[in-house]
Amino acid sequence: MARYGMALDYKNCINCKACEVACKEENGVLLGADKHRIWVGVKEIEGEYPLLSIASNTFYPSQCQHCDNAPCEEVCPTHATHYDENGVVRVDPDKCILCSYCMNACPYDARYVDDRTMTVDKCNFCSDTRLARGETTTACQATCPTKVRIFGDLDDPNSEISQVLREREHFSLKPHLGTKPKLFYLM
Amino acid sequence: MAVEVSRRRFLQGSVAMTVIGGMSMAPSDLFSNEEEHGSQAVTTKTGTGEAELIPTLCEMCVNKCAALARVEDGVVTKLDPNPMFPKSRNMLCPRGNAGIQALYDPDRLKYPMIRVGEKGEGKFKRVSWEEAYDAILNGTDKFPGLAKILDEEKDNRSTIFFCAGEGMAEHTFKTFFNGFGSANWLNHASLCLRTVVSGYGVTIGAYPQADLENAEYIIMAGANRAEAIVTPDTMDFFKRTKGRGAKLICVDPRFTNTAAKADKWLPIKPGTDLAFVLALSYVAIMEELYDKAYVEKYFDGFTQYKNHLYSEGYTPEWAEKITGIPAKDIYEIARDFMKHAPKAVYYPGRRSTFAKNDFQLRRAMAIFQALGGGIDTKGGLVFGKKLPLKSHPTIAPMYAQAEGVDVERAKGHPGYADCAIVSGGGSWIGFRNRVLEGKGLYPIRGMFLYKHNPMMNMPNTKKTAEFLKKLDLIVTIDTMPSDTVMYADVVLPECTYLERTDPVKTFGGPEPAIAVRNKVIDPMYETKPVIEIMRGLTEKISKPLFEITKKYDEDVQDDIADRGEEEVYKDFDLTIPFKHSQEELNEHAVSGYPGAAEALKEHGVYYPNMDKWFKKVSVNEHVYYPDDKKAYTVRGGKPKTPSGKVMCNLKNIAKKGVDPMPTWRKEYEYSVPEGKFRMLTGRHAQFTQSGTANNAMLHDLINENYIWINKRVAKKMGIKFGDMIEVSSEAGSTRLRAYPTEKIAPDQVFFVHGFGEESEELTWAYRSGGNDNAVIKDDIEPVYGAAVMHSTNVEIRKV
Repeated sequence: MARYGMALDYKNCINCKACEVACKEENGVLLGADKHRIWVGVKEIEGEYPLLSIASNTFYPSQCQHCDNAPCEEVCPTHATHYDENGVVRVDPDKCILCSYCMNACPYDARYVDDRTMTVDKCNFCSDTRLARGETTTACQATCPTKVRIFGDLDDPNSEISQVLREREHFSLKPHLGTKPKLFYLM
Repeated sequence: MAVEVSRRRFLQGSVAMTVIGGMSMAPSDLFSNEEEHGSQAVTTKTGTGEAELIPTLCEMCVNKCAALARVEDGVVTKLDPNPMFPKSRNMLCPRGNAGIQALYDPDRLKYPMIRVGEKGEGKFKRVSWEEAYDAILNGTDKFPGLAKILDEEKDNRSTIFFCAGEGMAEHTFKTFFNGFGSANWLNHASLCLRTVVSGYGVTIGAYPQADLENAEYIIMAGANRAEAIVTPDTMDFFKRTKGRGAKLICVDPRFTNTAAKADKWLPIKPGTDLAFVLALSYVAIMEELYDKAYVEKYFDGFTQYKNHLYSEGYTPEWAEKITGIPAKDIYEIARDFMKHAPKAVYYPGRRSTFAKNDFQLRRAMAIFQALGGGIDTKGGLVFGKKLPLKSHPTIAPMYAQAEGVDVERAKGHPGYADCAIVSGGGSWIGFRNRVLEGKGLYPIRGMFLYKHNPMMNMPNTKKTAEFLKKLDLIVTIDTMPSDTVMYADVVLPECTYLERTDPVKTFGGPEPAIAVRNKVIDPMYETKPVIEIMRGLTEKISKPLFEITKKYDEDVQDDIADRGEEEVYKDFDLTIPFKHSQEELNEHAVSGYPGAAEALKEHGVYYPNMDKWFKKVSVNEHVYYPDDKKAYTVRGGKPKTPSGKVMCNLKNIAKKGVDPMPTWRKEYEYSVPEGKFRMLTGRHAQFTQSGTANNAMLHDLINENYIWINKRVAKKMGIKFGDMIEVSSEAGSTRLRAYPTEKIAPDQVFFVHGFGEESEELTWAYRSGGNDNAVIKDDIEPVYGAAVMHSTNVEIRKV
């Protein structure tokens, strides 16, 4: 029993997309540019050459926020989407009927359709691959060149993620929606 | 805080949402015996059962990062970073992760093949290895073999030339070249880092590393470490930018991902960096901000350089007019740099030659760096230490009939016809053009080519195609049916890096280590590692070629009369260096270090005291060496030049017509005629030149390259995102889609290198995007004959 979360030192991100590839290879995510569990959000730069705003060009690595109060779980008619014993939002492929309510409900656009299994798929913190083998990192964290991610147990006060969140300012995405994400962006 | 983070990514390149794969391919007899061609690439989810983890080294680019390959049931299911290697610091980039797709690429070269169609047509038939070796020696009805060519050329071995791309097995191939006895060797250097390596070499005695883990102030000009990843620089650096210990000044004509991490971005006019550095040096010297003790002790020709800067008037005001960078910024940067020095770095970079003055630019950069005393010191440029390896048996026979390097001396000048200095790797463009124009000193008739793709890697593709058609015999060793392989007479399929053990390598730096690429799985199909290819080939050709030497080489004839044929042949036996397995050679190479061979098998990495010093200190961080054991300073700051000084004034070079001190010349000024654009090229983090062009996974990230056009210019020309654009110059033309953006100047366009291959055998790479080298002119710089990448003006039109 744990409550898994992830802290992202997003200022380190250079938008190389190593995390996307590691995720796909680890979890057997389908090939195709529109099939991905994680991604890097980028905004087109503001200003006119040569007067550009450096600050406007940021990279935000993102994925399922593993909300404590997940809208996708709420709308799922078959309970395919559920919280597992570690607080990870999971999808049971046997129960999914591809109604796509969850895709519409997710405010973070974190879900896509796996055409092979005909179910909705998304990040599960490598629960059925790396964590199931007893490893303590997700594929995206392990591979990251600039070490953006810290994955760990939020309920363990001695875990590195708990310490970092105590010591450093951070924010979560769309907090006004009350979804209580377990992804934290470090300032 | 509200942040837009959407999976609908609208950005350069990653735009195309089309599902890749499954395209139908034109019928071809390249793989006539196989139906595998065209099958879909897949990903394999890792399992929770038994698995083997094998330490190896990545070959998706040149960095050689350490990886652990997960093998389940004989299948490689995942590549993870190997945390034990100090150079790669526990990471794999997107390309490293996508190495599995290179291994299981359905388009891979699988069998030896010989040409049955016209040259360049790409029609081959599958043969056995023995038949392929025989074709190399004796030819077929379509092409002559080595025996005929060397007989006709009277054993002038230099008629066959050799070229190789960068790689750990390049050494093995070069051993074959040395034994073969040709004087003509071409590598990637003149298309890559020749001028930067030599510029630093002649000025401070070595091409140094930058200590970006400790530098406080970094000028990164013409280098893009957020996208052109170099380990450990990229990882050390971007954890510290953005107000976290390292101040970054990014100098680049376009706004890159590195610029996005900078404190200041200076959009410089292409090809004018030399003026910028000269002005920085002017401020540092005239305002006496430089490290006087260091200059006193280690500079040669300082006063001459000072007088030169002063008399030429290289002021920031002068540089502003040339570079477009405000004089006040130049003053501020020079002062800030010297304030932080020696913990300040003018980053040497590694990349291609952009402008004709590149050699002088690198010299000026090295001198400016040294003015701050940041040489061989923590936080500056460092030489580091290297753990020496033992060498292995090799041969270097003397062929009296072999001519020298195919370059002509310039009439009345001490230099060569097309450049001042001929380096070990040669001038690729100079060589190609000489052969093409019939200006060679003797006929060049054949080539051996390893892991090298001149059709894609060298400016003016049209000329390269003509050049390849002129050669009588082309033998390629490669993993993929590249554009160049289409011109081959004999194709020898190499296995990928995950299927072979390569020569063990020692990596220098402040934290030196030895690392090895261990074979992960057995070679698939009929592919082989280079060492086995060389073994088979030399067993076939060594004796018959010696017969030709005997026929024409009087020295050998005399020698045989003296010592007997058996004894003499021992010097010419090409098989000798390839008798042992790579594993045996590696064990011998590290035999000076107790326990190293075992450590390299088990961990892939070795350095003395690794068992004591290597520690995990957090979920992401490891320590390799204790701080006081890191080799930041190995010579007390003393340059590695023969004189032990920073060489400001190179009188020897002046004799060859090269400026002895970095000097700005009027012809270097930037200008673009009305209606044209300056063509810029470069890198991104997802592909390595054309080497990864067919990787299915990487095509998920960037399906094709896009041409950056300034947004306001595009609007005026009626060009919208995704429109097909034809780019043309006097060298040729290419087509790719438009990306209007403010990240580029109105009179410039940019697209990344490595796209637009024409080989139909590449499912993913075939005509995906545009080929920069189809458009870039084949200008060379005057010192080493290196390719100048940023001197071409182009026209664009919507098609």
